[in-house]
Amino acid sequence: MKKAYSNKAIIFSLVFPGILVFIFAILAPICLSVYYGFTNFSGIGSYDMIGFKNYIELFKDEAFQVSLRNSFLLAVGFICIQHPLAIITAAVLDKLGRHAEGFFRCVYFLPNVISVAVIAYLWKFIYNPSFGLLNNIIKLFGGKGDFNWLGSGSAIWSVLVVLIWHGFGWGMLIYYTGIKNIDPSLYEAAAIDGATNRTTFLRITLPLMRPVIQVNVTLAIISALKQMETVYLLTNGGPGNETQFMANYLYKQAFSSFRYGYGNAISVIFIIVCILATQVLNRVFKQDEGVAA
Amino acid sequence: MKTVANAAVLQQPALNKKKKNFQPANIVLWVLLSFLAVLQIFPLIWLLDFSLASSNEMFTSGLLIWPKQIRWDNYVSAFVDGHFLLYFRNSLFINVLAVVLVLLLSVMLSFACTRMHWKLSGLVKGLILLGIMIPIHATLLPNYVIYDRLHLTDTLWALLIPYIAFSLPQGLFLTSGFMESIPREIEEAAMIDGAGIYRILFQIITPMLKTSLVTVSIMTFLNNWNEFMMASTYLSSPKWKTLPFSVLEFTGMYSSNYAVQFAVMALTAAPMVIIYILLNKQITRGVAMGAVKG
Repeated sequence: MKKAYSNKAIIFSLVFPGILVFIFAILAPICLSVYYGFTNFSGIGSYDMIGFKNYIELFKDEAFQVSLRNSFLLAVGFICIQHPLAIITAAVLDKLGRHAEGFFRCVYFLPNVISVAVIAYLWKFIYNPSFGLLNNIIKLFGGKGDFNWLGSGSAIWSVLVVLIWHGFGWGMLIYYTGIKNIDPSLYEAAAIDGATNRTTFLRITLPLMRPVIQVNVTLAIISALKQMETVYLLTNGGPGNETQFMANYLYKQAFSSFRYGYGNAISVIFIIVCILATQVLNRVFKQDEGVAA
Repeated sequence: MKTVANAAVLQQPALNKKKKNFQPANIVLWVLLSFLAVLQIFPLIWLLDFSLASSNEMFTSGLLIWPKQIRWDNYVSAFVDGHFLLYFRNSLFINVLAVVLVLLLSVMLSFACTRMHWKLSGLVKGLILLGIMIPIHATLLPNYVIYDRLHLTDTLWALLIPYIAFSLPQGLFLTSGFMESIPREIEEAAMIDGAGIYRILFQIITPMLKTSLVTVSIMTFLNNWNEFMMASTYLSSPKWKTLPFSVLEFTGMYSSNYAVQFAVMALTAAPMVIIYILLNKQITRGVAMGAVKG
């Protein structure tokens, strides 16, 4: 019995394929990024090792700071706009019952199953100055309706709206499942005591949802840092670098500005920032649990 | 089951009571709920509406167009010139293959890490779970060079390998959590009956993991189906291009014919929307289970 479970050949056969894929697609590329991050490779031809020059430049790079700021703004948007709406919606939805509940849940989640490529181009059309939906709505209310939503100054807010809109259903669904897991007898007891909806929400739903909220907030912050695809298609970081995000910036540096080495240095910092953020958030929330207990 | 039914019955009076002392807050909540629903769905209705009109009709001031004539030919152009059939087939093939391989590798890895006795099991599991934190787009640049050197660009592998690799950490996490809860006595009994490790894993343990395997499948499929950053970096010939390329390539081709662009977007979105409506319950449960991955 024991012997079969420590058979080296069997263990190797089970682990090897997975490990191989992981090393080939994740670990080796990261090591390669670290290497190229120390070079001035343009993408073709020869290159030199230049030490920490890329990293020194990166810390002074304004576009990189804008990228971090944009991730921060997006995270704030997720936490202060998307999530409060999502959690209230989930709580209301939970009380609706059968058909209306299923219908609304479906409607809210639908944008999430649609490809980012479609979503990004759709919003490009919605923001279109000449026939876009948004300007048509403004015209309907008597405005001029010729605003350039993706122009300088407003572009970042327009991008944030798309991202907050697109992810709403996902967050809502997780809160909704969390609320479904709350013991219904608590709500019965509250109803017998004559508690109003608002009291029930504030005193029962919110406190019990604490772990779910923590996970969801962590995921939101990480996804704000990782944002790339929507921005890539919607504005590609422009105008200038106003709507730049880290992932998009490293891509642009490598493939449009032909600074492959510099792009890899950004990749390395990008990975460090994501791991650091995850660790810090997990630690903060774990401590928080300790205090609560 | 019984308690759930009881709870539903018990909640009924509470609901009626709420209706009696009708609070203005309820109206506010209904308005909010409906407003958000309109906000989420209206852009998609707008998309569908414009895809059936002609481009000349778009420059109106109304929100929706009542097309003089429904232009199905927009969809014909989208279907033919968007290479819909080829890209759809590629997407389906690559994603189904990725799901199957992710399931297989996750089950093998988590069995080795939770059941088998070897020194490095903790380290290997920890290392792969670390992958959850790695941003997928940070590997775009180095992977491009690797695939280029190994002549893997424009092949199936250039998509399949990273799709599997980035879904594997979550797959391992979900299956190993579930596997730990399966009592060992079952395996011991099978062992006495003369079953080998592979048979125990694939014929006894794997069927018991059904719920988490469904979750892994749904998450893998949802994540990779709509992926296009890697696809557009590693692929240049149409041979293995996936469905998002229908949209990406079309904007250049029909830059002034907006109606056809709307049609290709609607067409590209359709398969996933249909799958979602058909498998609504499973997907809802899968996302809920998969997303709370710690």
